[in-house]
Amino acid sequence: MSSEVLVLGTAVLLFAIGGAGALVHRHPVAMLMCVEIMLNAANLVIVLGARVRGLADAESAALIVLVLAAAEAVIGLALALALFRRRTTADIDTAAELHG
Amino acid sequence: MGLLDWAWLFTLPGLILTALGVPRDQRQAGYASLAGPIVMLLVAIVAFIGGGQAAVDVPNWLPFLPDGDFRLLADPLSALMLAILGFVASLVYIYSLGYMATDPGRRRFFVYLDLFVATMALLVLAGNLAVLLIGWTGVGISSFLLISFWRDRPGTLGAGLQALAANAVGDGALLLAASLVPSGCGSLVTLNTAQCTAGVGGAELLALLLLVAAAAKSAQGPLYFWLPNAMAGPTPISALIHAATMVAAGVYVLARTHALIGEAPTTSLLICVIGVVTALAASAASLFQANFKKGIAYSTVAQLGYMFAGVGVGAPFAGLFHLFTHAAFKALLFLAAGVVIHGAGGLEGLADLRGLGRFFRFSRAGFLIGSLALIGTPLITAGSFSKDAIIDAGITSARPWVGWLLLLGVVLTGLYIGRLFTIVYMAPAGDPHAVHHDAASERLMDWSLVPLMVGAIAFGWLGSWLMGRLTGPLGDIEPLPSPFAITGWIAFILGAVGFGAAYWYALRQPGAAPARAGATSYAAAAWVAWIARGGYALSAGLARIQSGLLPVYAFGSLIALAVVLLAREFIR
Repeated sequence: MSSEVLVLGTAVLLFAIGGAGALVHRHPVAMLMCVEIMLNAANLVIVLGARVRGLADAESAALIVLVLAAAEAVIGLALALALFRRRTTADIDTAAELHG
Repeated sequence: MGLLDWAWLFTLPGLILTALGVPRDQRQAGYASLAGPIVMLLVAIVAFIGGGQAAVDVPNWLPFLPDGDFRLLADPLSALMLAILGFVASLVYIYSLGYMATDPGRRRFFVYLDLFVATMALLVLAGNLAVLLIGWTGVGISSFLLISFWRDRPGTLGAGLQALAANAVGDGALLLAASLVPSGCGSLVTLNTAQCTAGVGGAELLALLLLVAAAAKSAQGPLYFWLPNAMAGPTPISALIHAATMVAAGVYVLARTHALIGEAPTTSLLICVIGVVTALAASAASLFQANFKKGIAYSTVAQLGYMFAGVGVGAPFAGLFHLFTHAAFKALLFLAAGVVIHGAGGLEGLADLRGLGRFFRFSRAGFLIGSLALIGTPLITAGSFSKDAIIDAGITSARPWVGWLLLLGVVLTGLYIGRLFTIVYMAPAGDPHAVHHDAASERLMDWSLVPLMVGAIAFGWLGSWLMGRLTGPLGDIEPLPSPFAITGWIAFILGAVGFGAAYWYALRQPGAAPARAGATSYAAAAWVAWIARGGYALSAGLARIQSGLLPVYAFGSLIALAVVLLAREFIR
């Protein structure tokens, strides 16, 4: 098994773990961490592609994803905190007022 | 003229300053916005006197439209419209400083007002259908924001949404018109050329779409229903947007494209029918209103019907002239009514306001002058000059029945305005203690009525001067009837008889409460209710699939992503 396939497999696995975790968890911070895992999985594929093709701009794209992930974490944490303040529990299933 | 092309930017500095909280004191909010409309008025007057025209053209701005240029056109016609807008808006701004003195949302109010004036100016300056559409939608949105300004009060949001829905019909028609014209067409003044009427449906379809758009904006025919309910907004808004300027935009567009209308005989007949029927039906409906402002609102619908009929019989100048004088006297009626409503603590029912107008001298004088102008008192009020021009043009046109019916309609005009005036300003006051005077804000409101009184009296004499200036954009204009023409005096006598009858009847009526108030205003809009009911049923069904749970939505997004990716793979 070549190293590319190994890295690709890891990325797919990480993405699946992150996706499943984001769906299963009920705590906003845990969901946020799972989303970070998904982002990192995608980043891994980008870096792999950059290495195989030898493209510098792909590596810079990976850096942009890192920055975006940081920004997203800030907003996500703020949302989680606001949710906690309003409801004193941090279970996102309690925030279902938009149901039909 | 060149400066006038940018008139739509005049109120933007005021908008930004007011929105940013300048001046800081809440009681002075709105002072920063005052300059915009006054500058607009001055620039428009100078440009109108100067004459000539100036255009702006930014090519290929919206490439997906047949004519996607950003085109502005400042000519005497748009200068006149901007002068009307600036005149009424300046007074309404000053009036609002008093009317909204203690309102906590005062800053937001002036921001919305600035937005309205900017979009209205863009509408008037539009050189082609694309820019017209932007202004058209913009005034609709700012009208919605201002109708629903007191969003906590029951009914205001519904009234605003109704206006938005009716306007959406017009926006859709205008968008269709802008998309259907052959490539390169879209300039408003050349829509009637052979090249432009060669598209699908020809001149008739194009004129019909413009008529639908104009009827939605001016509350004509089956699309009238939103205007009376729009009275849920603050009274200065009713005066500026829903009496003087925005609702007149339909008449303006039809007059601007009158050459195209002239090539579409079926549509121009339809304009006549809609105008006459609306004028008569709305006048009758006004007689049954229990709400003071709604009574005046139906009068606006009726007068807009007169203007439509004027354009329909091929007399666009008569329609525009009536638009001009109507802006002055109808804004006067609304602002005078607002003084009483403000003094009565926001009450609008005729039963509550009975006799209270006696305690407001300026308002009483203003409402009387406005009423006299509305029924067309010859020589001393502006309304007679313009309304007689429409009636006269109707009688001498190829469709004389239009003129005769409009002439008969003046009786109804006299009846409804006489009824409102008598109940509020002449009847013995029910409870004098219901009024509270607030000297500082009342002074601002009273004095802003004075220029409108002057306008309602004197604007009629400007007729032949306006006619000379507008010959360029409107082409050959039919001559105005003499102020001593017999039809004008007949119209006045009919109106005065109506006014007197209403005076006699309303004074003898013990209570002011007219019987079937809600019935008439809603019965005719039954088809709207049907559409609304269907929409509610549909949305209630669709709402059931919404669980509100975040993981469910996330799962849905993942599935959708997978489907899209797989589909892409297979399609390739």
